[in-house]
Amino acid sequence: MGVAAQLIINGVIAGSIYALIASGFSLIYSVAKFMHFAHGVVVTVSAFMLFLFVGILGIPFWPAALLTVVFAALFGLAMNVFCYEPLRSKKATNAVLLIASLALTILFQSLMIAVFGADIKTVRQGYVGTGMDFLGGIITELQVIIFVVSIVILVLLWLFMKKTRIGKAMRAVADNEEVAQTVGINPRKIYNITFIIGSAIAGIAAILIALEQNIEPNMGFSLMIKGFTGSIIGGVTSVPGSVLGSYFLGLVENIGIWYLPSGYKDAIAFFLLFIFLLFRPQGILGINKGVQK
Amino acid sequence: MFEAYLIHLAILICIYAVLAISLDLAMGYTGLMNMGHVAFFGIGAYTSALLNMAGVPFIVSMLAGALLAGIFGFILSWPTSRLRGDYLALATLGFSFIIESFMKNWTSLTRGPLGIPGIPRPNIFGLVISSQLSYMIFSLIVMVVCFFIITRIEKSPFGRLLEAVRDDEVAAKTLGENVRHIKSMGLLVSAFFAGIAGSLYAHYISFIDPTTFSILEVILLFSIIIVGGLGSSKGALIGTIIILLIPEPLRFIGFPSSIVGPARQIIYALLLLLIIYFKPKGLFGRVKLGEN
Amino acid sequence: MEKDIAPILELQDVSKNFGGIKALDKCSFYIKKGMITGLIGPNGAGKTTAFNIITGLLKVDEGKVLFLGKDISRMPTYLVARIGLARTFQQVRLFDNLSIEENLLVAINHPGEKFHKCFFYTRKSNSFKKKIEEALAFVGLNKSMTTIASELSYGQKRLVELARALMMDYSLLLLDEPTAGVNPAVREKLKSLLRKLKKQGKTILLIEHDMDFVMSLSDEVIVLSSGTKLMADKPEKVMKDKRVLEAYLGK
Repeated sequence: MGVAAQLIINGVIAGSIYALIASGFSLIYSVAKFMHFAHGVVVTVSAFMLFLFVGILGIPFWPAALLTVVFAALFGLAMNVFCYEPLRSKKATNAVLLIASLALTILFQSLMIAVFGADIKTVRQGYVGTGMDFLGGIITELQVIIFVVSIVILVLLWLFMKKTRIGKAMRAVADNEEVAQTVGINPRKIYNITFIIGSAIAGIAAILIALEQNIEPNMGFSLMIKGFTGSIIGGVTSVPGSVLGSYFLGLVENIGIWYLPSGYKDAIAFFLLFIFLLFRPQGILGINKGVQK
Repeated sequence: MFEAYLIHLAILICIYAVLAISLDLAMGYTGLMNMGHVAFFGIGAYTSALLNMAGVPFIVSMLAGALLAGIFGFILSWPTSRLRGDYLALATLGFSFIIESFMKNWTSLTRGPLGIPGIPRPNIFGLVISSQLSYMIFSLIVMVVCFFIITRIEKSPFGRLLEAVRDDEVAAKTLGENVRHIKSMGLLVSAFFAGIAGSLYAHYISFIDPTTFSILEVILLFSIIIVGGLGSSKGALIGTIIILLIPEPLRFIGFPSSIVGPARQIIYALLLLLIIYFKPKGLFGRVKLGEN
Repeated sequence: MEKDIAPILELQDVSKNFGGIKALDKCSFYIKKGMITGLIGPNGAGKTTAFNIITGLLKVDEGKVLFLGKDISRMPTYLVARIGLARTFQQVRLFDNLSIEENLLVAINHPGEKFHKCFFYTRKSNSFKKKIEEALAFVGLNKSMTTIASELSYGQKRLVELARALMMDYSLLLLDEPTAGVNPAVREKLKSLLRKLKKQGKTILLIEHDMDFVMSLSDEVIVLSSGTKLMADKPEKVMKDKRVLEAYLGK
C-alpha cells in the first residue's frame, strides 16, 4: 500500500508541474490558435534567470522569484511581438509558426549552454526538508508547496478567465476572433496579454522546478513535451482539459514505471502523445476544430 | 591535415544531402510535415551497423537498414494520414521520440546510451573502403545514385500525383486519386533513403548512439531544406553545403570548444528564423513552406 | 418529377449532424440521367453538404446515397470519383504549384502514374496533349498550358477547374456555384457549355444562387431548405411557388 501511495504522490506532483506548463500552453493555443512550443524554453531560461539572480547576483529569494516571473512574462511577450506577430503578418501557416517556435527553442536553449555551460545548476533554499509521511508514502514540504501553488494558480487562472473582463475577452477571441472584433475587442492586444499570463505561469513553474529538481538546458524541452502531451490528452483547446490531462499523464507515468524499466518513463508520455494525436487529437474534453482534414 | 578536414566535410555533405533530398520528397513534394525524419536516419544507421557487425555483408546490411526505415515510414503514414500540418508535425516528432526511447532503452539490442562503437568500414565483395579519400568517393557515388533515383521519381507522373496531394488533397481525391496510398509511398521512399544516409553515416563515423539522432538534428535538417528551398533537388544539395559549411569558421576563430557546439545551433536557429521571415521559399524553392 | 426512368443519383433519408446542427435532415431527392438539375435553397439549406456527402467527403449519419442503383454511402471519395462522379468546388481548388496542363493530367488515369512505373515515364504529356487542348478550347480558356495555376485570374481558375473535371471519365457532373464571381460574358459561356455537355449525354447537378442562370438552364429544380427537400419540379413551377419564396425570405 505504501508503494502505491508513493507512486500516486509522485504522479500528482509531476502532474502539478505538467499542469502549470500545459495550462499556459493551452491558454496560448486556444487564443492564438497555434502551437507555441517555445513555451518550454521560457521555463528553461526563467529557471536560469532565477539561478542568475540568486546564485550569482546574490539577490534574496523572494525578490528574485518575483523578478523571475516578471522576466518570464516579458520574455514570452517578446517572442510574440518580435517573432510570431511579424510572421503572422506575412500569413504564415500554423506549421510555419511551429517551426519558428522550435527554432526559438533551440536558439535560447543553446544560448543558455553557451552562457552558463551545460552542467547542472541548483538553487537550494533549504526547502528540501525531511519527508513527511502521507498515507503510507513520503512527501516533502517542497512537494506539498508545489502541489498547493499549482492548484492555487490554476484556480486563480480559472477565476480570471471566468470573471474578469479581460478573461472574457480572451475567451471571446478564442471562440471566434472575427466576432470578437465586431464587439470592439482588439485581438492583437489580447494575444499579447495571453502571452504575458501564460508565460508568467511558466515562470512560476520554472521556480518550483528549479527548487525541486535541477536546472539544466533541456529541462524546458522535456517538460514542454510532457505539458503538450497533457494538453493533447485533455484537449488542447481546453485549459481545464489540459490540466486534467496533465495530472492523468503524471499518474500514468509514475504508475507505469512500476511495471516497466524506469528508462521508459519518457517513452510512456511519447506513446500516449502519439496515440492521442492519432486517434483522438481533440483530447478528452476538447473540440475537433480542423485538426483532421 | 587541412585536406583531411575538407574530405571529412565532403563526406558529411554527401550524407546530409541524401537526408535533405529524401526529406524534401516528403515535405516539398508530398507536403508532409515530417519532423520525425531523423528517426529513419537512426533506424537505417542502427540496423546497418548491427547486421554488418553480426556478419551480414555490407550491401545487404545497408539495404536492410533502408528497407526497415522505409517500412517504418509506411507504417507511420497510415494513422497520420488525416492529420493537419502542425498536428502531423508533432505526431511525427512524437514518433521520433519513441524511436529514440527504444534506442536508449532496448539495451540488449542497441547497447542503450553506450552506443555502438567499432562499426567497420564497408567491405564490398572484398574491396574494403578504408581510407578517407576512398570513403569520400564512395559516398559521392551513393549520393549521386540517390539523387538520380529520387529526381526520377519526382519527375515522373507519380511525382505529379505527389505534388497534387501536396497542393490540394481534397481535389486530388475528387479526381480519383488514392491519396492515402500516395502519401504512404511518398513517406516510404523518403524514409528509405534516409536509411541509406544512416548507413553511410554509421560506417563512416564508426560510432553511433541515441544522441546522434536527437531533436537538434531535426532543426539542422529543416534549416537545410528551408534555406535550400522546398521542392528542389538543387536546393537540397546547395542547402546542405551552405548549412554544413557556415558554422565551420567558428572552429578557427578560437572559441572554446564548449561554445562551438551551442554556437552552431544558434546559427542554425537564427538562419531558420531569418529565412522563414524574409525568404520563405528559400534559395531555390518552388513551394512555400506549409501550404495548406 | 415522374420516377419512370431509374434515377442516376438518389439520396434516401440522408441526415447529417455537425455538433448539434442538423445540416441535412432526412433529405431525399433524385436526379434523372441526361438532364440538367438545379439545386437551390437559402444559405445553410444543406446544398454543399449534400455534395460533400454524395462525393464521399462526408459520411452520412443516417440514410443512403445511391448511384446507378448502387449504395455508395460508405464509399471513399476517390472511388466515388472513379465510378463516374466529377465535381467542382465553391472555392476553386486547383493545384496551385502545377501548370494548367499538369492540373488536367491529374484527372486522367494515366498508366504511368503507378509508383512502380516511375522509371518508365516522364511527365511530358505527349499522348494526352490533344485531349487537353480540346478541353481547354471547349471551356474557352486562352492561356498557355504551361502557365502555373497560381498565376491565373479567378475566372480563369474556374475555367481550368471545369476543364479538369471534364477530363475525367464521368457520367454525373456536380457543379458548386459555377457562376460565383464570374463576369456576365463568362456566365453566358458557361450556359452554352453546360448545354453542350447535356447534348453529349452527360448528367449535371448544379448548386446555384443565380436564379436566372439556374432557371434558364435546368430541366428540373430541387429546392432544399433547412436540410430537407422542399420541392422538386420544373423551373417555372418552382419560381411561382410561395413556399420557395418564404424559404428564401422568411429566414
